[in-house]
Amino acid sequence: MGTGLTIFLILLVIGGYIVFTYNNIVAIIESVRNNQKQIDIQLDRRFKVFESLINVVKNYMNYEQTTLKDVVALRNQAQAAKTSGDEAGRIAAENKISEIASKINLVFEQYPDLKANQNCLQLQEEIVSTENKLAFAKQAYNDSVENYNATKKSFFASMVVSMSKAKLDFNYPYWQLSEEKVAEQEKYTVKL
Amino acid sequence: MTSTADWRKSIRTNNRKTIFVIGLFFLIYLAVGLLVDTYIYSGTYQTAPLSQIFQALMTLQLFPYATLVMLGVAAFSLFITFAFSDKLMLLGTEYHEITPETAQSLQEKQLYNIIEELKIAAGLKYMPKVFIIEADYMNAFASGYSEKSAMVAITRGLMQKLNREELQAVMAHELSHIRHMDIKLTLMASLLANLIIMVLDLLFYNMIFGRRNGEDRSRNALAGIIMLLRYLLPVINVLLLLYLSRTREYMADAGSVELLRDSHPLASALLKINQDHAQNQDTYSYAYQNTAHENVRREAYIFDPTQAGITGMSSFADLFSTHPNIKDRLAALGFKYNDK
Repeated sequence: MGTGLTIFLILLVIGGYIVFTYNNIVAIIESVRNNQKQIDIQLDRRFKVFESLINVVKNYMNYEQTTLKDVVALRNQAQAAKTSGDEAGRIAAENKISEIASKINLVFEQYPDLKANQNCLQLQEEIVSTENKLAFAKQAYNDSVENYNATKKSFFASMVVSMSKAKLDFNYPYWQLSEEKVAEQEKYTVKL
Repeated sequence: MTSTADWRKSIRTNNRKTIFVIGLFFLIYLAVGLLVDTYIYSGTYQTAPLSQIFQALMTLQLFPYATLVMLGVAAFSLFITFAFSDKLMLLGTEYHEITPETAQSLQEKQLYNIIEELKIAAGLKYMPKVFIIEADYMNAFASGYSEKSAMVAITRGLMQKLNREELQAVMAHELSHIRHMDIKLTLMASLLANLIIMVLDLLFYNMIFGRRNGEDRSRNALAGIIMLLRYLLPVINVLLLLYLSRTREYMADAGSVELLRDSHPLASALLKINQDHAQNQDTYSYAYQNTAHENVRREAYIFDPTQAGITGMSSFADLFSTHPNIKDRLAALGFKYNDK
């Protein structure tokens, strides 16, 4: 009687732990997915913002039509890479758009008159904010991946995961730059 | 290791403490109600000793009208606190709300952008309301009872005197308060506690100016109790707030660093705010004193003005600082503060 009750209670605790861990990991997975989509939302937003920005800027400073074309081309590259599942290609294309953004900012820096112009200040603020939003979305995504991996791999929880691999075990890559890209960025200095 | 686990824990702690504050608030109202009932019935039954009247009230032999009224008032003020939290927290200031459509200048647009960026970084589901307070002193606070009802308010002085990075650090600090749900606890503690004091003030003045036959001994004793409460409650209030909030500011500072991955902007913002308060001590203390209901916001501010020697906002509370001092906060951020 006493041992039966004890075994029952132990099973109840173990069962409760499994259910709790399962639900917890499911919630974490969904927050990873949500954060992943947040990056897409911000990339999409950036494209739209830059498109309209460059349209305005080119009237101001004879900024070549090619810049806009470049952005559109890179955007298409990124889209194609995304549909074909080529994450590295997509990241490379998106990073090139970031470079164009910083170039526009450099153009601003070179012309003091332009810098003082209210419209240009607004554009500059818009670019900074857009890039920040994208960076923060990536940061939030990486943080949630960290949380997911740490939970998934920790002891006891890993046993629950191994019981239901199809629903709990995913491999989310961290958002990062490729090795070559890192080497290239490290050497980069501003040439004026 | 991130502080992910820590802020989830602080949400739980804050929830528990909020319930405690609301419970305590009801208890205090109940006690005040009983006190008033005893006061009233001691007028009716002049010969009966106070303890007997009290006993009769507890066993419902005498109907506790005032107690019921007080409980009603308590429920009503809780409702008011929930329904008008943002308006109450901004009470006495001149303010306006900022939205992307109504931003009047590039600076205001920038402020809104910064908060939008940090909302993404903090993973908040709702965009908090953004208010500008028309004041020269540099300060900011966050409030609300949930993520959905959350708001941040900053003074125009803060917006103008900090650069983008520093402003970002301060807003990250405020959004951390929202993420940790500190806002709910401070809202309850500041508003409910201040409402009690307002009610007591009412009783207090009623007693001074409305005494009819003040020779009565038991009534004098009760008057004494009310007078005592009038001065004791603000102290209890402050002690309560101190108990609730020892580590809160450090946690929010840490949250700011976690979101920005950089401790420099917050440190330089804190230094600027501190120096600015020290330099304009006279003008600011005039400004703070002339803003009504400043003690409602005191607990929520990022910087406690009393630290810069600005006093007189509420005489009792000035004896205690609700925030860790600037030196300790900078030390926690990894900077050393040099007094020259």
